[in-house]
Amino acid sequence: MDTGLFRPESVAEALALLARLPDAKLISGGASLVAMINARLADPAALVSLAGIGELKQIAAAPGGGFRIGAMARHRDLAAESRFSGTLAVLQMAAAQIANSTVRNMGTIGGAVAHADPGLDYPPALVAADASIEIAAAGGRRQVPAGEFFVDWFTTALQPGEMVSAVHLPAARPGIGLYHKFARVSGDYATVSVALTLVREGRAISTRAAIGGCGPTPLMVAEANRLLSGDPTAENLRRAGELLQAAADPVDDVRGSAEYRRMLIPRMLARAFDEARLRAGAAR
Amino acid sequence: MSAPSESVGRRVPRLESREKVEGRAQYIADLYRPGMLHGAILQSPFPHARIRGYDLAEALAMPGVHAVVTGDDFAEPNRMGAFIKDEHALAKDKVRYVGEPVAAVAADTEAIARAAAQAIRVDYQELPALLSPEEALASPVHIHEGVEQYFKVFDAGSQGNLCSRTEFTEGDIERGFLESDLVFENHFETQAQAHVALEPCGALAEVDPQGRLTIWSANQSVFRVQACVAEALGIPMTRIRCLTPRIGGAFGNKMEPHVQPIAAALALKAKRPVKMILSREEDFEMVRARHPFRIRIRTGVKRDGTFVAREVEVLLDCGAFADDSPGVLGFGLLCARGPYRFPHVRCHGRLVYTNKLRFGAYRGFGNPQVSLAGESQIDDIAEKLGMDPIELRLKNILRGDDRPLGGQILTSNGLRECVERVRDASGWGKGAPSPAAPGKKRALGFALCGHISGLLASGAIVRILEDGTVVLNVGANDIGQGSDTVLSQICADALKIPLENVAFVSPDTDGSPYNWGTTASRVTFMTGRAVVGAAAEAEKQLKQQASEMLECAVEDLELVAGGAVAVKGVPEKKIGFFEIAKRSHWFAGGPIIGSHSWVYDNPTVDPKRAAAIGLPFPRIGAYSFSAIVVDVEVDEVTGAAQVKRAWSACDVGRAINPLLVEGQIEGGVVQGIGFALIEEMVWDGARLANPTLMDYKIPTTREAPYELYPIIVESRDAQGPFGAKGVGEVGLVPVPAAIGNAVKRATGVRLFKLPFSAERILRGMLGTQQ
Amino acid sequence: MSDTLHVTIKVNDRSVALDVPLTETLLTSLRDRLQLTGAKRGCNQGVCGACTVMLDGVAVRACLSLTANCEGQSVLTIEGAGADRAIAALQDAFIEAGALQCGFCTPGQLIAARALLEQNPDPSVEDVQKGMSGNLCRCTGYNKIIDAVRTAAGKLQA
Repeated sequence: MDTGLFRPESVAEALALLARLPDAKLISGGASLVAMINARLADPAALVSLAGIGELKQIAAAPGGGFRIGAMARHRDLAAESRFSGTLAVLQMAAAQIANSTVRNMGTIGGAVAHADPGLDYPPALVAADASIEIAAAGGRRQVPAGEFFVDWFTTALQPGEMVSAVHLPAARPGIGLYHKFARVSGDYATVSVALTLVREGRAISTRAAIGGCGPTPLMVAEANRLLSGDPTAENLRRAGELLQAAADPVDDVRGSAEYRRMLIPRMLARAFDEARLRAGAAR
Repeated sequence: MSAPSESVGRRVPRLESREKVEGRAQYIADLYRPGMLHGAILQSPFPHARIRGYDLAEALAMPGVHAVVTGDDFAEPNRMGAFIKDEHALAKDKVRYVGEPVAAVAADTEAIARAAAQAIRVDYQELPALLSPEEALASPVHIHEGVEQYFKVFDAGSQGNLCSRTEFTEGDIERGFLESDLVFENHFETQAQAHVALEPCGALAEVDPQGRLTIWSANQSVFRVQACVAEALGIPMTRIRCLTPRIGGAFGNKMEPHVQPIAAALALKAKRPVKMILSREEDFEMVRARHPFRIRIRTGVKRDGTFVAREVEVLLDCGAFADDSPGVLGFGLLCARGPYRFPHVRCHGRLVYTNKLRFGAYRGFGNPQVSLAGESQIDDIAEKLGMDPIELRLKNILRGDDRPLGGQILTSNGLRECVERVRDASGWGKGAPSPAAPGKKRALGFALCGHISGLLASGAIVRILEDGTVVLNVGANDIGQGSDTVLSQICADALKIPLENVAFVSPDTDGSPYNWGTTASRVTFMTGRAVVGAAAEAEKQLKQQASEMLECAVEDLELVAGGAVAVKGVPEKKIGFFEIAKRSHWFAGGPIIGSHSWVYDNPTVDPKRAAAIGLPFPRIGAYSFSAIVVDVEVDEVTGAAQVKRAWSACDVGRAINPLLVEGQIEGGVVQGIGFALIEEMVWDGARLANPTLMDYKIPTTREAPYELYPIIVESRDAQGPFGAKGVGEVGLVPVPAAIGNAVKRATGVRLFKLPFSAERILRGMLGTQQ
Repeated sequence: MSDTLHVTIKVNDRSVALDVPLTETLLTSLRDRLQLTGAKRGCNQGVCGACTVMLDGVAVRACLSLTANCEGQSVLTIEGAGADRAIAALQDAFIEAGALQCGFCTPGQLIAARALLEQNPDPSVEDVQKGMSGNLCRCTGYNKIIDAVRTAAGKLQA
């Protein structure tokens, strides 16, 4: 049978189905896929539901710190995950600002991440958190750093027949993780978002800042992170903002013009950075 | 008043509340008829093109398809249009905007209907598209080649792509500016706003065994539906019956027709009932929206703040069809002077066809746009003169015998009270307002407005049934604002009976007296007064019966509480409605039927005071007023403005139901916040770029201020039922200007273009305006 | 027919067997097959919230749920909510407070409110604003809805 709804009970079974039915679509939370079906942009004859695969639902603490978040973990659960402390709070904050509470009941991190809409909240948060995406393929599993997983508009490192099986978070470091989102109204996709982690290392700080909504993929610039680390001055902060602004490739859309998005980058970066620094007790 | 009011003034929950909270309320999409088919529409892909022909073969051959209609099914003279009859139900010979309905299919299922619609081939010959009023005025290409021959209900002055023009003058404008000490001129621009009622438009049409059409639809007037279907199909109104289910919100979008004539044509052709419900995208693309306005406003004042002269010139984008646009132009210009004493006024404007979605009625009807201009400018004038903005206004607002533009007499005026109450409640001028949070700027902003409630005709019929209870029959649709309840309250109090003794009849063109529509904030005022009149007629007949039964003069009788007629001063000598009804039904006089109808007939323009060219509304209505203070916080990083608190006072004459009046004020203010800060229909070339709720955003719980204080002012209008006037629109009208004024006071930035998006405010703060 | 899937779900405590196409949404099945028209189609994209129902005790968008993917699950719609103490309190509170006007969004608001009160039995104004930001209303301006939810919360706790 090549049509209908399939409910594999393991990742291996799911992959085998994808191999056998190349036109089948995976369905996790369903939110994005069903919206596309309703808009007559998709009409799959076969769906592979991941709802029955136990390993995909767990949010498990990894030995040595960190977490393995199954692809079917719902936004709601990540938003309420009190174990995501320190720098990992960036992910918890991002999940909490997705859409609204009802949609958060339905959507999953795996589904969102595979969809790779640049307006989503997870991509910059995962990059700032230095997360990696676990991809399951017929030949085995591999992990891709978040910064390399998001490739282009709605395009990821997933090859045909592969699926996202988990998201890996490194061990939380003592410090601050925050996610600031500017949108037209509550629940809208971000016009611009800033995901930032800041760790105190003695008298110095170590910062990772990623920008969302300003190009086909989340934006992080190593030199900007370097400028925001150590004992950064106001000039450092200004330069970091400039670098991110220059590297951004935003579009004009109904959520904001490209120019406005560029204007927001250094301003929102400064606000996020100053707040994180203050809360970390590392203000100058 | 003898007995205290039992119903009027009470916070009665909506009579239909229980069915709505239990999910049993039936809206158009919830109705099913035996043998029902589903309809779907093919939309135009081009903004302007001739239709050379159709190929229906593939569509007609699809299994499950029962009928296909195109513009060929609508004869040439059969056009609709509230002011100018320029529109066929389906595009005929030409398409004039992307998304325009071109053809329609009735089929067994919606999926088949949609697939068949897409299988219709249309042969188009593209024409140049005119996407702005300026472009259209300058072009030799005409969107409506026959515009000069179209039937018009007023002197529109249509020519080429100019749909209509209107001008009001009072005094001598040039002299007025010469006499002014200071003259201010500004330009403002407002955007297209979508109604976004939660319920998309839809209709269900069925041909009954007699061959008459029965049409249910989401609508603001069963009578407009009936008239428009009659016009569009070229069939007599006697062959059309229009009914209404519950309506899922309407703010002007459901006042004129949408798919009703199309569904009717399909039902006639398929000889089966046809239901057609628009998707949200289709609702955005093919119904109507609020007019974008370009406004030039020039105001002359004396150094002491006395207003002397005002000139307002507007340019309106009509979209592809006239619809209610001439009314919006005319009404907007009437309101453009504001509720102020100006000895010299000139308000003029043009309405221009473009190849875009038609613009039409939307809560406020041109007044929010012109009030943005007037009320923003007045704040700047106050600043220049070194006067408090509220004081400047109080100095100039209409008082007592003053007349608004045109010279209509004000029968009530609670404007001053509105202003003073919001001023006092907000703490305006008393020390620092709420301190801004870190990284924010914050200030109060003020604006006021006048608006009208009224227009055209309404009727009511009150019948006493055999058991003495009452049936109230009006043609007015409750679109969610609560008119069924309010009119029942008016009827109950007029007859001094308990509210539960009034049965309210759903509007039905077969059985209901004419009501123009639920629009123009008119139902409480116009229909309410018809109810009072009908009740008075019923009272006469009740008293006539009672005088015979009690053997006394009619003049000696009065209605007493509980549903009875008694001798004045002798309460024991009374007869209940039940007894009277028995006598009237079985013995003498005949069943008691009281009816009353009226059309608003106070002229808008007094020709001794003002001159008007192209006046679309000769007689409007009673004036309502509103004043609002908003407390706005602006984020210094993003520029985003948020209304933290608001005090809105509305002069409603009399609040028949304060709970429902508050609901109108609150809902209007929040819709106004959406218009001011967030909402914008965006065109990408000729096509609407954001026809979805993902891309077009309205306020959620987090953009609406919880601290929103509705303040009811009651000026007791002698024309209105129990003194009541309308409130549906007036709360929304001054909101954008008040927010603009708050942003100015908080940041120093004066914005001239709606919406006041975060981007525009930030650019203003940085001095980098686009 | 090979085009449809046989699905058994519980709707308002009654077991129901349906034969549905793979891509039919729960909203369509509820409205068109079961005549449970309380859940409304306002956008079909999951944005407006008028289709909100409970699925296995969790508030979801019926327009974004595939019936075929709900095998064995339990749906609660507004029509089945009458015996639910929380919904009954909310219904009374909505009526008294004037928290509904046209009523089109109301069933979705009530389900979402019930879900909120289950998570947070004593919500502040801000909690209600946050918890119900996914249910659009164009008529009321939301304040009376917020008041009604908190009134019901108070009643349920008493």
